[in-house]
Amino acid sequence: MKLGIPKGLLYCKYHTFIETFFKELGAEIITSQDTDKYILNLGTKYCVDEACLPIKVFHGHVASIKDKCDIMLIPRIMQLEKREFICPKFCGLPEMIINDIPNMPPLLSYPIYAFSKTKRRNWLLQAGLIFTKNIFKINTAYKKALRDQENYKLSIDTSGFPIKTALVSHPYNLYDSFTNMNIVKKLNKLGIGIVTEESINETIINSEVDHLFKKPFWHFAKNSYGFSTYAAENKKVDGIIYISSFACGIDSVVIELIKNRLKDFPMLILKIDEQTGEAGFNTRLEAFSDMLKRRCANL
Amino acid sequence: MKITFPHLGNTCFAAKAVFDGLGIDYIIPPLSNRRALEIGSFYSPEEICLPFKIMIGNYIQSIKQGADTILIVGSCGPCRFGEYCELQMNLLKKLGYNLNFIVLDYPKDIGLKELMRRLLSIGSGSNKTSIEKLKVVHQGLKIINLMDNIDKKAKLLSGYEIKKGQCKDILKNCKLKAFKTTSPEEMIFTIKNHMEELSKVPISKNKKPLKIAIIGEIYTIIEPFSNLFIEEKLMNYGVSTARYLSPSWWIKDMALSPLKLNSLNLRRNSKKYLPYYIGGHAKECIGEAVLADKSGFDGAIQIFPMGCMPEIVSKAILTTISKDKNFPILTLIVDEMTGEAGYITRIEAFLDLLERRKKNVLYGS
Repeated sequence: MKLGIPKGLLYCKYHTFIETFFKELGAEIITSQDTDKYILNLGTKYCVDEACLPIKVFHGHVASIKDKCDIMLIPRIMQLEKREFICPKFCGLPEMIINDIPNMPPLLSYPIYAFSKTKRRNWLLQAGLIFTKNIFKINTAYKKALRDQENYKLSIDTSGFPIKTALVSHPYNLYDSFTNMNIVKKLNKLGIGIVTEESINETIINSEVDHLFKKPFWHFAKNSYGFSTYAAENKKVDGIIYISSFACGIDSVVIELIKNRLKDFPMLILKIDEQTGEAGFNTRLEAFSDMLKRRCANL
Repeated sequence: MKITFPHLGNTCFAAKAVFDGLGIDYIIPPLSNRRALEIGSFYSPEEICLPFKIMIGNYIQSIKQGADTILIVGSCGPCRFGEYCELQMNLLKKLGYNLNFIVLDYPKDIGLKELMRRLLSIGSGSNKTSIEKLKVVHQGLKIINLMDNIDKKAKLLSGYEIKKGQCKDILKNCKLKAFKTTSPEEMIFTIKNHMEELSKVPISKNKKPLKIAIIGEIYTIIEPFSNLFIEEKLMNYGVSTARYLSPSWWIKDMALSPLKLNSLNLRRNSKKYLPYYIGGHAKECIGEAVLADKSGFDGAIQIFPMGCMPEIVSKAILTTISKDKNFPILTLIVDEMTGEAGYITRIEAFLDLLERRKKNVLYGS
């Protein structure tokens, strides 16, 4: 049976787990190509106009492989940790896909609550029983996949430069070099190193969040806030670059929270959408890097 | 302590009555208006949704009149509304106001004890006994139900009335007079009076007006200013409108949700299209659309603020419902830049479309 896996959204973070798990079950895996102009155009064509860029890109990935597979994995991630959501659009992702894209193959879209063992098991069984009737096999596949995932560390760390910035964003913007227009390389070229949130321990992030009146109920909001405030206050970085998709509801809140806490720390907010022009993007990065260099020379 | 609160449709009447009854000092912000929105969008983060901006406008207008305590409800869903309190506290603090905030969250998030503490801190300024307080709260609930009922009835009847504009006038009068009352009893009396008046409005049962359901994000459909008074506009056109979500519905839904008995009707109807709660009121929106089609409405209008996350999902689903059921649905997105002329044009075009579908337009002859 051919299982289609779109390379959008959290694929970058969890692809090791997903691929090992389904390969062990004997599924033939078909992934879409890396994000490019074609995928983006396809996504904008099908998706609701108001959705954000990552969702549109995901639509593009789905549409590009929908005819090549028998069943498609559309993860409906409800909560990653207890009472920590990602975004309402993630919870309703399969519905968006079915209603936006015609002629979809059947979907594997059972909800994922990653924090609870029983609920995780429910998902594994639902997903696994499609490919094999052997529960033992599902268990071993799960264990192997989990082990592989633990060994897999996703992070960009190019901190061997005199000036360092924190690159803050949701993983799907951070690790998709098409949508963020290869920002890591661009910054390195300008002589700026990059630190991402994976370089910081989770307990630190959790303790940073305690400064807030109310604990954020979004997983990425918690990470972004915890990481950027910790890195800035402990002088781990000289500036913050926040990549945010246009009309992202979560970012509109988190950016405010970070700004409130850090007051006048250098922070550049880059909005990306399907129409972002590369030239303007470069200019803003160059201006930011000039500013940082002067600031660091004066300190 | 002078309490103030953001506007949300008819809730201000109930709040007024409760505070009157308890003898607590309060300030009702001026009804949401252009100025409030301007103040709000000036100070708020750029990308935040419309309700936030109007609320900030409400607060600042009532702070200027002397309010020093702000009462808001919270939530811990994946929708942005739950983060409002934090952002608004920071924002108003930065503007240099020294305020108290009372945030009412769900007990499952902050604990029942904390909720009780916060609730009691509202009542601390009152010298009434506990029984009297409970009685006042009960009256408040009654008022909100009555107000929603009269609202609903007027909007439904406006399509059938013989003398145009009568229902609208009664509703307007009722609200004006309710604002001038000084005790809960008086307010209940006023609303009941107008309810009777409304029942005496001559109607023609032979009329077959267009019936439109208003669905979408709860704030923008309940707070008339935020949707540029769409219901009033439709009343002027002689269209009957109905909306399922209202402050009284919200209270009932909240009270029943721990027992999982809330809005069974909507849940049943939305199951086919959106089986899970995804935050905000997306599931309700889908349920209402299906329900509106079943109960013989001619069309539905979905309204949501620009960038509203849950409603974007429901917008994607509504196109399928519209196709499946042959049921026209218009989506209107509002923000602080919405121009009224373009807005009206779209509504009028939608009404024309509905009229023609009913085949009572003799066009071209």
